[in-house]
Amino acid sequence: MVNSYRPTTLPEALKLMETRDMIPFAGGTDLMVKYQSWKGTLPRFPKDVLFLNHIPSLKKIEVNGETLAIGAGATLSDVIDYPRTPDILREAVLSIAAPGIRNIATLAGNICNASPAGDSICALYALDASVILSKSGGERELPLPEFITGPGKTSLGRGELLTEVRIPLKEANLQVFRKVGTRKANALSKLSFSAVAEIKGGTIDGIALAFGAVGPTVVRSKELEKKLTGKTLEEIKVLYKDIIDDYSAMIVPIDDQRSTAVYRKQVALNLLKNFLESGLLKEMQ
Amino acid sequence: MNDEIRKSVRRVDAVAKASGLAKYISDYNFGDILYARLVRSTRPRAKIISITVPELPDGYYYVDHRDIPEKGKNRIQMIKDDWKVFAEDEVRYVGETIALLIGPDREKLLSLLSEIKISYEDQEPAYTIEEGLACKGGAIVGDDNIYGEYNLVKGDPDTAFNNAARVIEGTYRTGFQEHLYMEPQGMVGTWEGGRVNIYASAQCPYYIQKSVSGALGVEGKEVRIKQVTTGGAFGGKEHFPDVIAVPLAVAVNKIKKPVELIFDRIEDISYTCKRHPSRITIKTALDKENNITGMTIDTVINGGGYESSTLIVLQRALLHGIGVYNIPNAHVRGRAVATNTFPSDAYRGFGAPQGLYAIEMHMSQVAKELGMFPADFKRKYFIKNGDMTITNATMKDTVKLEEMFAAADEMSGYSKKIREYKDDPYKGIGISFVNHGGGFTGNGEQEIIKGVVKMKRTGENSAALYVSNVEMGQGLQTVLRKIAAKELGLNYTDIEYDNPDTDIVPDSGPTVASRSTMVVGYLIQECAKKLKTKWDEGVGAEAEHHYKHPSEFKWDQDTLQGDAYPTYGWGINVVEVEMDKDTYEVKTTGIWTVFDVGIPMDDTIMYGQVSGGVVQGLGYASIEKCEVLDGKFRQHTMADYVIPTSVDFPQIKNRFIDNPYKYGPSGAKGAGELVFDAAAPAYADAVQQLAGKNIYDIPVTPEMIMGLEE
Repeated sequence: MVNSYRPTTLPEALKLMETRDMIPFAGGTDLMVKYQSWKGTLPRFPKDVLFLNHIPSLKKIEVNGETLAIGAGATLSDVIDYPRTPDILREAVLSIAAPGIRNIATLAGNICNASPAGDSICALYALDASVILSKSGGERELPLPEFITGPGKTSLGRGELLTEVRIPLKEANLQVFRKVGTRKANALSKLSFSAVAEIKGGTIDGIALAFGAVGPTVVRSKELEKKLTGKTLEEIKVLYKDIIDDYSAMIVPIDDQRSTAVYRKQVALNLLKNFLESGLLKEMQ
Repeated sequence: MNDEIRKSVRRVDAVAKASGLAKYISDYNFGDILYARLVRSTRPRAKIISITVPELPDGYYYVDHRDIPEKGKNRIQMIKDDWKVFAEDEVRYVGETIALLIGPDREKLLSLLSEIKISYEDQEPAYTIEEGLACKGGAIVGDDNIYGEYNLVKGDPDTAFNNAARVIEGTYRTGFQEHLYMEPQGMVGTWEGGRVNIYASAQCPYYIQKSVSGALGVEGKEVRIKQVTTGGAFGGKEHFPDVIAVPLAVAVNKIKKPVELIFDRIEDISYTCKRHPSRITIKTALDKENNITGMTIDTVINGGGYESSTLIVLQRALLHGIGVYNIPNAHVRGRAVATNTFPSDAYRGFGAPQGLYAIEMHMSQVAKELGMFPADFKRKYFIKNGDMTITNATMKDTVKLEEMFAAADEMSGYSKKIREYKDDPYKGIGISFVNHGGGFTGNGEQEIIKGVVKMKRTGENSAALYVSNVEMGQGLQTVLRKIAAKELGLNYTDIEYDNPDTDIVPDSGPTVASRSTMVVGYLIQECAKKLKTKWDEGVGAEAEHHYKHPSEFKWDQDTLQGDAYPTYGWGINVVEVEMDKDTYEVKTTGIWTVFDVGIPMDDTIMYGQVSGGVVQGLGYASIEKCEVLDGKFRQHTMADYVIPTSVDFPQIKNRFIDNPYKYGPSGAKGAGELVFDAAAPAYADAVQQLAGKNIYDIPVTPEMIMGLEE
């Protein structure tokens, strides 16, 4: 038998988290599937449950200076509707499930579920997002890649709650999100691709490339991105084959019930090539 | 007159279903009910060594083969009675019923269920057609794993092949397909009037009656089956309900209390019958002028662990195996193989889609080899009235394929586009031609079904019709009312027609095989004519009508020779696609269909059948992947077993070509399965046109298309 708690303020929630080991529950759209049992019986939650969807302060989305702050209670629909949501995040979130689910599921929940196929996560990696982890008496900020440690695994500590997602709002004249799903809507990802770049005066001022569902966590390499930064069109053309080879070495997907490793890898590279050829190189001309 | 009946009316069930008022089996309240959970095999092939059941509290029951009454039999009396109600000493597939655990509290049931310990001695399983044919792990059935084999021969295929200038060959495979009806399997058994009653979501109340009474060892009428509003079926509620109704009936017979057995979705996808996978090899013999002189078709379908209706499915696959073509010399061979997968069973089309997929793909590929466009080549071989069929009878239909092709071509621009896209690697257009025999094969309506319908005058201006056929979303309750009303000069809303109850309705047969409008509708039409002559006898006047096979159609079931079907529906599908060059994802940009269903009984209902059938066929062709891993269906959630949504395919542009059938009501023919048959080959053909490479297997996934390019 598990207990459930429904705090209405964040301090109250954090205090509860301090006292016992609980599963934070926001929209519940992943948790209710994960722990579902026979019709007419209770879901099989292994621990007490903390409901977060009655804490008004967590629902806030706002811009502070050059940072977008999305509260852990903000739903996917809220994120879509917010005017300053970066385009690729909006696209990624629009590609998740169907309107009914998006009206209750949260962005924070999508992150904490830490699925390799989590669609928002791929875009958030490319956007350099970080998360705020709060506990009674303090909070810490972690870059997203440090928070998500493996399939379904995060570095959320005992007593901590993910309370906010932060996205630096940078200039980016190129933004691409592609999801390859099992069908056109209400589908899980076979893979996804996010790219963000700022081109200034014919050279790459900044670039981020992220690949989802092709590894245990999102694949992104700051090292390879550094190699591209500051380069001109001509230099990129020379580097082109190396770039593809470097990413090819990093992308090591698996076979599962939704797709194959061979397909995932090939298509991820195709999307990268397509971004380089018809996105980046064109923009630099 | 025909224009009158086809005019759309509001479906009698529209408001109840759209508003949520309609009551499905889960919505009923049977009072103090017990819940049942199946104790299932977790092994694909094993001997059961022992079963340990925990001590059960009062009011909890464990029901297994030992509870079958002495005069009964531990067999489900389907077309073949090989499938056991409860496994005894061996299991042949994962999910096989071993027992029922029953009690009032579901939480308690789950905890008791987890305490049941079964020890097995595992044996090596066979899953695929190849493993079955090779008798991997030893034969499961007989000494060769073959449930049955048939051979149909027309002309002299041996000589045709001996004299052939060239032979073109291809092997085509289709996979499992899950029905994914909106309402999962479910039923409630009660003890009322000193006998077992079953309230079921089902297509065939009398099939359930036969199975239940057979296992209990009682007369048919000693069990009552009441169909309740059924949320979809597609063949999935043809035989499978027997598989749960019989153990449920054994339990109710023992406990004498109401018991509910309703599947959850994952349980339903994991442990119900699917469409038979197939492997079909076709060889075509051509003479020096590139004319087809002969053809051999070797069909194998995967029947899974028990035979059930597999041989009847196989027969239909063979009878449709040569498609809409007149091939002078042909040999169609068919085998059904036993494996350790969940037994395969009925699914919209009943074998025909597998056969038609293979022949349509093959004919397109032969055309390509000969440097011709598919439609130009296929049209040369269209069967015509008076031509000889594969079962050596003359084609009795007036075949309007040419007129239908002209309509399809005009609507879709097929002939122009196939030339335009010839060298375009990203655009393709495909076409398929099919027919589908309405009603039971051969003289089955006469020999097996013997359908009876009854009607009664119930008021000044009202009548009731009594049939065992069910509404399952296809519109039958509206269409049969329209047919009766037309003869009686009444409004269709003045006709009463309830969900069938075996205590009340005669056995007009199962709701399967595209027979309900064509065969049962005709019986209603004729019965209504009789009732009209008795109308003046006043309220209570009754009429009854029995099926009589038209004497011009002859059939020998032992040799499968003669008129396989009295008439066929005919169909053409054109599908246009574009492929994404980076992801190999295929987008369907146009769907055009032309169907000859005799005369449509209601334009909107028939268009609903076209939309649903075609999109279901496109799902089968493109995304509905269903693999077996360790004997379990790998895609067993709705997240992984995906079917098309409304955004996956564009709206279908359809045209009906009238071609009335004289033994159909107002000229109607069977339509419910025909509308499924043509979509998969049209889609796969479109993709192979753009890829410039032959496609042999469905589903045609982006993963497969990428593989073609290598």
